[in-house]
Amino acid sequence: MRRRHLLRSATAAAIAAPVLGPSRGRAQALEKVSIGVLKLASSGPLFIAMARGHFRAQGLEVEPKYFTAAAQVPVAVTSGDADFGVTGLTAGFYNLAGRGALKMIAGQSREEPGFQLNAYMATAKAWEEGLRDLKAYAGKRIAITTTGSTFHYSLGLLARKYGFDMASVTMVGLQQLPAMAAAFKGNQVEGIVIPVTLARQLEAEAGGRILGWVGDETPWQLGALFTSPKAIDQRRATVEKFTRAWAMGCADYHAAFNARDAQGRPAKGPGYDELLDVLAKAVEQPAARVADGLPFVDPQARLDVGDIHSQVAFWSAEKQLRGEVDAKAIVDTSFVAGHFNIPRG
Amino acid sequence: MTPERPVPFRGGGFAPRRRRFVALAAFAVLLGAWELAGRGGWISPIFLPRPGTILGALGDLVRSGALAEHLGASLFRIAAGWTLGSALGFAAGLAIGLFSLARSAGIPIVSALFPIPKIALLPLMILWLGIGEASKVATIALGVFFPTVIAVYAAVDAVPRNLIRMAQSFGVPPAAILRKVVLPGAWPAILSGFRITASIALILVVSAEMIGAQRGIGQFVLQAGNLMIPEDLLAGIVVLSALGLGIGALIGTIERATTRWR
Repeated sequence: MRRRHLLRSATAAAIAAPVLGPSRGRAQALEKVSIGVLKLASSGPLFIAMARGHFRAQGLEVEPKYFTAAAQVPVAVTSGDADFGVTGLTAGFYNLAGRGALKMIAGQSREEPGFQLNAYMATAKAWEEGLRDLKAYAGKRIAITTTGSTFHYSLGLLARKYGFDMASVTMVGLQQLPAMAAAFKGNQVEGIVIPVTLARQLEAEAGGRILGWVGDETPWQLGALFTSPKAIDQRRATVEKFTRAWAMGCADYHAAFNARDAQGRPAKGPGYDELLDVLAKAVEQPAARVADGLPFVDPQARLDVGDIHSQVAFWSAEKQLRGEVDAKAIVDTSFVAGHFNIPRG
Repeated sequence: MTPERPVPFRGGGFAPRRRRFVALAAFAVLLGAWELAGRGGWISPIFLPRPGTILGALGDLVRSGALAEHLGASLFRIAAGWTLGSALGFAAGLAIGLFSLARSAGIPIVSALFPIPKIALLPLMILWLGIGEASKVATIALGVFFPTVIAVYAAVDAVPRNLIRMAQSFGVPPAAILRKVVLPGAWPAILSGFRITASIALILVVSAEMIGAQRGIGQFVLQAGNLMIPEDLLAGIVVLSALGLGIGALIGTIERATTRWR
């Protein structure tokens, strides 16, 4: 009885869907585009823009292609498997962009003061032995994912800020977050750079100490929206439409999640609960956990262009780039108005 | 009477032989075509750098002295991991091949543990053995152990029983049968097992060096992949295949030297 009832309602839904779903009615008019993306809260503007129909309003039908590591997304755009990509900026990204395969067109998340996204930590043992501030990272073993990762760059910024030599830090590349956490728990390293959810876990389970947050200590342009130069040449109107919808997603995201009260504490902005639900579904995590790690996103999807130039200079100095990478040539500032901090000359 | 018909010779063929210059020529043609396709712009250097670029990357590695450092670190891990895994695997395989108790317990255990992907165990390996050489050597040893067990006990199983029975009927003591009949009979098959496990050790050096390695050919390949520098990645692969060829030749020499009695 019950099963038949379920079956009938499912059939009813299947019949009703094409009528109710606004996308189906105009399916032929919509242009298909794909985007390579990670299931992370930092991709929130995309999920929100899809849920709120911003892409559809621009005549686009977006197919997200999910990846599990930031390094894979630029490769997918280079190979033509995805039209766009949005993810954290790594040395691998700059190597591909430097060879003319990619162009940044808009901002994604930024490490900003007051936003606790990634933590610099010390193990309980290292804390006992005197690793109590970030200056003391000099000469220590710090767990990261890989050379060239966002964690590597954060460490580089830290070294510059506190004036220690990057070469004195032993970066222990462990490829995956679980392996990093294991090395931290087993006191195989003294410190770690790690996302907030795991940082909280290491604090509770292994007595690790959070020495500071990347956003507070060393803010930087963490991620960007990018596409191929070929797409910009041949499908400029599509790229414009896509960026417009993306920026609307950024505005919605910023309004809901980046609001602060008079004391500077996180506050719920308009649409908070609804959009948190959208994010939780998209990243397949409980809403409470997603709420713990909501990064800052520029409301107009602007890039800190000066910071992109600093990133290229850093990777070049660290000898992680092959050949000359021209920071100017890998950013196309024509799609979003008001990119800031643009170097002169 | 049926008329006599000449029968044409239908033998011959089906006996491929190796001609050395053909192999070299095949390589040369392949590499030449690849190089030309790269220079002509038919293959994008981002997707597949041409052999000249890869050679250049290899040259940089040699000149900077990095290759020697990487090779030194990796060869130690490969040698230690392979020796450890092979020694333990040989002992376990021999026990399974000879004793009912070991066989009854050993075969199901090997079947259950062999298919575990070693990479999935990395976080645990780090907790158990840390991020130093121990966990890297253990990763390789673990990968070598199980195929060695299987190769050794299968080789012992394949020794003709009538040879063993004959030795028994002549009153040869069991230890001497093992030494003079079983081991020599199983040796060629065990050696082909070693050929396979040596390649497995080379493959696993990349996984092993995922554990916080500062140096090593596997670490170099991983890093080149992360940084999207395809010519470095392929240069690392060339070094790994050269190692494979070298180890293959070494085992071939051992094979010829120890199975001359055949």
